[in-house]
Amino acid sequence: MPDAFEIMTTNAELADIRLEDYTLSNGLRVVLNPDVGVPVVSIAVYYDVGSRNEKKGRTGFAHLFEHMMFQGSENVGKAEHFQYIMKAGGTMNGTTSSERTNYFETLPADQLPLGLWLESDRMRALAVTQENLDNQREAVKEEKRLRYDNQPYGQIFDLLASMVYQNFANSHSTIGSMEDLDAATVEDVRDFFRIYYAPNNAVLVLSGSFDSAVARELIEKYFGSIPSQPKSPSIDVAEPDGVANRYLKYHDKLAPLPAFLIGWKIPERRSDEFYALYLASKLLYDGESSRLYQKLVKGEESVTQLFGFMDERRGPSGIIIGAIPKPEHDVEEIRKSIIAEIENLASEGPTADEMGKIRNQLSGDEVMARQSSLARAQAIAEYTLYDGDPNLINTELKRLLEISPEAIRLAVAKYLATEDRSLLDIVPGEAE
Amino acid sequence: MSEEFRKFPPTQLPSIGFDIPPASRFVLDNGLRVIVLEDRRFPMISLRLGFLRGEINDSGDTNGVMSAMASQMTEGTSTHSSREIAELVDSVGGDLSVGAGYDNTVMRISSLTKHFPKMLDLGAEVLLDPIFPESELDLYRQNAIEGLKYQRSQPDFLAEEHLGKLIYGGHPYGINSPSEDDFRNLSREHLLDAYKRTIIPSNAVLVAVGDISANELGMELNARFGGWEKADVSDSSFPEIPNRSKRSMVIVDRPGSTQSNIVLSNLAMKRLNGDYFKFLVMNQVLGAGASSRLFMNLREEKGYTYGAYSRIYARRFAGNFEATSEVRTSVTGDALKEFFFELERIREESVPEQELADAINYLSGVFPIKAETQGALLGLLTSQELHGLPEDYLLTYRDNVRGVSVADVQEAARKYVRPDEMAIVIVGDAREVLAQVEAYCDDISIFNTEGEQMPVDDFVVVEGEPPAEFAGTYDLTVDAQGQELPLTLTLTQEGETASGNMDSAFGEGKLKTGIIQGKRISATIESEFQGQPFELTMNAAIENGELKGSLVIPMMGDPLQFKGARREA
Repeated sequence: MPDAFEIMTTNAELADIRLEDYTLSNGLRVVLNPDVGVPVVSIAVYYDVGSRNEKKGRTGFAHLFEHMMFQGSENVGKAEHFQYIMKAGGTMNGTTSSERTNYFETLPADQLPLGLWLESDRMRALAVTQENLDNQREAVKEEKRLRYDNQPYGQIFDLLASMVYQNFANSHSTIGSMEDLDAATVEDVRDFFRIYYAPNNAVLVLSGSFDSAVARELIEKYFGSIPSQPKSPSIDVAEPDGVANRYLKYHDKLAPLPAFLIGWKIPERRSDEFYALYLASKLLYDGESSRLYQKLVKGEESVTQLFGFMDERRGPSGIIIGAIPKPEHDVEEIRKSIIAEIENLASEGPTADEMGKIRNQLSGDEVMARQSSLARAQAIAEYTLYDGDPNLINTELKRLLEISPEAIRLAVAKYLATEDRSLLDIVPGEAE
Repeated sequence: MSEEFRKFPPTQLPSIGFDIPPASRFVLDNGLRVIVLEDRRFPMISLRLGFLRGEINDSGDTNGVMSAMASQMTEGTSTHSSREIAELVDSVGGDLSVGAGYDNTVMRISSLTKHFPKMLDLGAEVLLDPIFPESELDLYRQNAIEGLKYQRSQPDFLAEEHLGKLIYGGHPYGINSPSEDDFRNLSREHLLDAYKRTIIPSNAVLVAVGDISANELGMELNARFGGWEKADVSDSSFPEIPNRSKRSMVIVDRPGSTQSNIVLSNLAMKRLNGDYFKFLVMNQVLGAGASSRLFMNLREEKGYTYGAYSRIYARRFAGNFEATSEVRTSVTGDALKEFFFELERIREESVPEQELADAINYLSGVFPIKAETQGALLGLLTSQELHGLPEDYLLTYRDNVRGVSVADVQEAARKYVRPDEMAIVIVGDAREVLAQVEAYCDDISIFNTEGEQMPVDDFVVVEGEPPAEFAGTYDLTVDAQGQELPLTLTLTQEGETASGNMDSAFGEGKLKTGIIQGKRISATIESEFQGQPFELTMNAAIENGELKGSLVIPMMGDPLQFKGARREA
């Protein structure tokens, strides 16, 4: 351990990320990634609960609960979590997805005990009161208004998810409905805490500048005595074949321009086919040299914006492509163009140049992603929580680089070059 | 088991120092200043080449020239087309872009070390030999005009558009975007002229951080930029920024908006100002973060909003202070009250020692976190150089923050936060908002989202208006997430109360209450769906026999909009 931060002056190779992986007696899985660099430490706590675990009538609950985690615990007052972190010179947040709820902070390295104290206090004894619940319900409703209801195109991605997935666990939104938020009770919050916020349902990752013997001692002290709980109820995220709804026309009164989204249902994250489709997606819409950007934005000059992303889940996942067409261009023609490009990829596969390009991009992205202690902690936490193997952070790139052009062609042919997809047309203005 | 240790926050571990190592500096023969920070943690290099000319230096007749010129530099050279440039960059997984801000124009290059010479070749080509093809400019023009339509649908864009004019008058800092006409007027000649005036080595600074030494970089740069010729730098002059002496308010009417975007602002300071650190710490106490006063009050105590913040914009020649929040429509006036309460409080009362210490600890502690990655460190260094801050600025930053006192904070608040002369912009439903905010400002004007001024009287909701005639049967269409569902509503009326029934896809129902105020009706409707009783809430207005409004249905999420006409008698 150096006593001052030093920037190395010898050339670095991209070495394996150092990991120490162990489990406390209460079932809390811990992964340490000590890394001598800038004197900061990032802490990530990932709970195995997301909107996929929500019941009908309680949509939005996992996310509402995330807000409650900042409202105080036995020894930390209401809203003091923010304050403790900030006055120590740290940054923090929490987020909720379909798959998990995560909490994380980055602190000056000497403040590691503070972060562990705060995270352990809310894991063992969250303060649940009616007043806190009412207050955070309002904050969440404002978040919903801000990000979804009052935004042009703010609701279209949730709408598309409800068209692609059939299983309620997958198809409902993380933000939930106003009525379900209103229906949440203090008892719901207490039950949810007991069932899902147990040490044996969580992963703790430290990344950055720390001594691992010191960290182990602190972790045992703060987390070791938190009791474990019965295993959380298992859920079924399996999907029947086929998308739930192939077409919907949606009137968005805030949208200034028409737009459309196309969504496909694909296999789960980290499967060979998911990875093949991930590479296909990079070829199709990632960057200015991508096929669809060059074809639609540049060549045909038919759209002003083209975008796409993967909806990455532990169960059936999705891939989404969208565009904002120019006014004088026929939406149908643009879609035909997209489909034609997908069909071309399905029959011809990627070129050798394209394979070289995406492999270079993957290697570059990997180095970029390793620079920040928080990004490392989060990636390690996901692999540990979802796959039980933190070392995947060192080995997955190799798997991606080995995907063959033929595997990409086959996956595109099977999952994208098909009529079984959801098309959402967004029309500006109110319904006629 | 008592576990006493949990009762109080733990003590810190021994602290680890953080000093950014000194950068090397040299100047090329053509006057280009170069700053290199060797950082071998990762096999990559990031570089920025910044020019001291930006959007504010747009030529008089057309706005948007500098940003167009910057973005078009990567759209074609004598040897490579736009597509070939994109292919070259992506084929090595690197980044190359040029962009303009108010004060500066910056080229950014980054890649893995092994691809860096190739990226630098391309960077030099784009810098020294762009040809600005007409066809690419034409596409840029079209897309910019379409992009503007999208921007205009964003409440924060509309707020900044008006705020800029109120604060900066005719000074270019007040322009948040070129207009549609500006984009149409852009010509290739504009771009060539801006290029000639901007891309001058003595008017630039090149900063690099990464897996390369100063010597190595010096050789690479000499080989590529040695022939880049000197030129004289021309001066720009700007219109005066007006002095404000009282509050004024603009409401941008966005009918049906569920939230009001509120921005309050006054002129503050330019970036090179001896009070900067006092202002920075004051702003941290007041509103910069999630433990600052505005957030704690408007979100945590009152629950009006998802967030409330204050921000400092300190630019080369001037700057402004802003406080902002997006609140639900019904508490717009209450939110203004809390804003002014906090703005007055920080001016009038000394900040408690502990609160000051917390703000200082945050700013000083978070500094290494903000410098953790290569790109972040490069951003800090580039900003230091472009603003003309001292060479040891980053090294002394934390000491400067720690030196701010209670009296300094109050002094900064009194000088740079001036609630009595603020410009206030609210983007929201003007009919709902106007009455709530009248008490806070004598000078209110209202605009539509296209920027046209509207008569304020049109937005005054008249109390005691006689009840309109509502009786009759209406054929309504409900918009349920894009699906159109029919609904028949029959109303009978006695003065200001209504009764009646409904028939719809959500079942049949009866009006439980119905209150008429002028042209508005609000009602609750009792209904049943699959054996479950439930209650709907309806709010609507009538105009020429057409009923238009919203319906709140339990379990169906957000209010559904409906409209339709009364049947002929």
